[in-house]
Amino acid sequence: MTLSDETAAATKIFFREAIIRALQEEMQADPKLTLLGQDIGAFGGSYREFDGLFDAFGAERVRDMPVAEAAMVGIGVGAAAAGMRTLVSITYMDFLMLALDPLVNYAAKLRFKTAGQLRAPVVVKTTAGAKGQGVAHSQCIEAWLMAVPGLKVVAPSTPADAYGLLKTALREEGPVVYIDHKRLFPTAGHVPVKAACIPFGQALHVRSGSDVTLVSFSYMMTPTLQAAERLNAQGVSCDVIDLRSLAPLDMATICTSVKKTGVMVTVEEGQLTCGVGSEISFRLREMLDGVKIARIGAVAAPVSSNRVLEAASLPDADKIVTCVLTLLNGKGG
Amino acid sequence: MSAHELLHDMLLIRTFEQHLIKRRDHGFQLFSSGEEAVSVGLCSVLNRDDQLLCSGRAIGPALARGLEPGLVLAELLGKVAGPCRGRAGRGHMALPAQGFFGAHAVVGGNLTIAAGVALAMQSEGNQNLVACMFGDGACGAGALHETLNIAALWHLPLLLVCNNNQYSVSTPRAAALAPQKLSDLAVPFGMPALTVDGMDVTAVRDATREFSDHIRAGKGPAFLECISYRFTPHSTSARESRPTAEIEAIQALCPIVRLSSQMLMDGEISQADLDQMKKDVNAAVQAASVFAEAAAFPDPAEVLHDIV
Repeated sequence: MTLSDETAAATKIFFREAIIRALQEEMQADPKLTLLGQDIGAFGGSYREFDGLFDAFGAERVRDMPVAEAAMVGIGVGAAAAGMRTLVSITYMDFLMLALDPLVNYAAKLRFKTAGQLRAPVVVKTTAGAKGQGVAHSQCIEAWLMAVPGLKVVAPSTPADAYGLLKTALREEGPVVYIDHKRLFPTAGHVPVKAACIPFGQALHVRSGSDVTLVSFSYMMTPTLQAAERLNAQGVSCDVIDLRSLAPLDMATICTSVKKTGVMVTVEEGQLTCGVGSEISFRLREMLDGVKIARIGAVAAPVSSNRVLEAASLPDADKIVTCVLTLLNGKGG
Repeated sequence: MSAHELLHDMLLIRTFEQHLIKRRDHGFQLFSSGEEAVSVGLCSVLNRDDQLLCSGRAIGPALARGLEPGLVLAELLGKVAGPCRGRAGRGHMALPAQGFFGAHAVVGGNLTIAAGVALAMQSEGNQNLVACMFGDGACGAGALHETLNIAALWHLPLLLVCNNNQYSVSTPRAAALAPQKLSDLAVPFGMPALTVDGMDVTAVRDATREFSDHIRAGKGPAFLECISYRFTPHSTSARESRPTAEIEAIQALCPIVRLSSQMLMDGEISQADLDQMKKDVNAAVQAASVFAEAAAFPDPAEVLHDIV
């Protein structure tokens, strides 16, 4: 899939508006869809990404909940298993750790363990990433979730993908973790006028190049694309892939690109150890020989609210450019 | 449900488990023997369209809910004839079409799930309820507090049934939980809460009936604590930690002997009818065994079925 296909007949909206639109359309289409979360009612969500839904659908379908993440996800999962469809908003991904039991031990295994008698069509929508809020409000733990059989994980980088992936998530028959990023909410982008879903497991080829393949997702697409622009000015042509979907992973699109470039660099905001990049790199090595690979991610340290330390811990365009040039000059891989 | 039926269902659980423990292929099990009155008293009040969720101590609840013993045994032994094709076993067995939403072997793990099932029922606007059985061990978990709060706030049709067998594996209740009475945990949330003798099936039934009327009237959740005693160690792989004298004293509290003695004394059942009931139950367990033994194990390829 190419970018131009998706921008035909589009309207420019903010990221948070894309979320609202997807929720509104799906709630209209499916009367069983109920939203659960903290401050999602009249308040409209911490990032105003639920604005207007409470007025449109009422307190029974847009339910404010106490600060009780385990119960929020557990109730969302139980209700979904019993015939409803639910979206549970966990304000920050760090807090999802409090709710891993119902998500991982119950929802992800439900279809298997009941031999298909029960399924849990639940979406856990959460917000990852660093924006000055410190060690327990900044983490990206998507790689943990990718390792859970039965869970699907998606992380859009644009309003169009937020809209299309959230719609798909809300039609899935099993649990999905949908991940926003704090720095994406104020961004704007083109979203198709016509309602449309984006299938899971399809990465987006966002920039064509021949020297190196850059693979990223979510907010890290921003520094990745900045780096690609700067590398281009230095004569290094970058093929850039936005994963969009982490589980399932679209290895075919990555493989096609790396066959052309022979070099891959992954960029993520989470930890490198057992990270998204590690997984992609190893799978790629199983598919292709003789490829140069490097990974970029957060340093192995907590993400501080101190802005100097936060910046020191995270990838940025400079670090990506340096990594790519080092790899191409033969010192890595 | 008549006293005959209560007695029959308790006998079935006991006989089933006595058969299972004798099998060399019994696997890892948690038994309900000694605690039969809790599941049987509770299930005697549940309607067909209610749902029951329970902990990993699931054999008693599953049989009390009316699942065919053959299906249950097949599930426990890992045979495809089980309701979950043998994948779930004791810890996760389920047959929601028959009102058994299922077991969940994480202690306290089914509490929030049960509240979600209750939310779905409430949104359908019917008179059904969800009952969730859990042990005293789950009362130390945050999930119970979170569930009590939200269930009370939203008036969910949820009956929380604490089967207090007084030990979390080896840890006595008093060493793990500050409240003397576990039903007191529910009081601040404004819901009716009661502690009853869990070895007395009629006491469990009567309390359940009272609470079920309250819940079906749309008045919100209730909490029932049943004081029970397990006759066996925590599981088939756990060491017995209780003193012999305590175990002997527990045997004297057997809920089956208690009910049958009372019925014999009251002339509700004759010794001959009681003997016949035992024979019938034995025959049912034998038939279950034949059924489960004849069933197949899954094809190894099934390990990848029904994942996403």
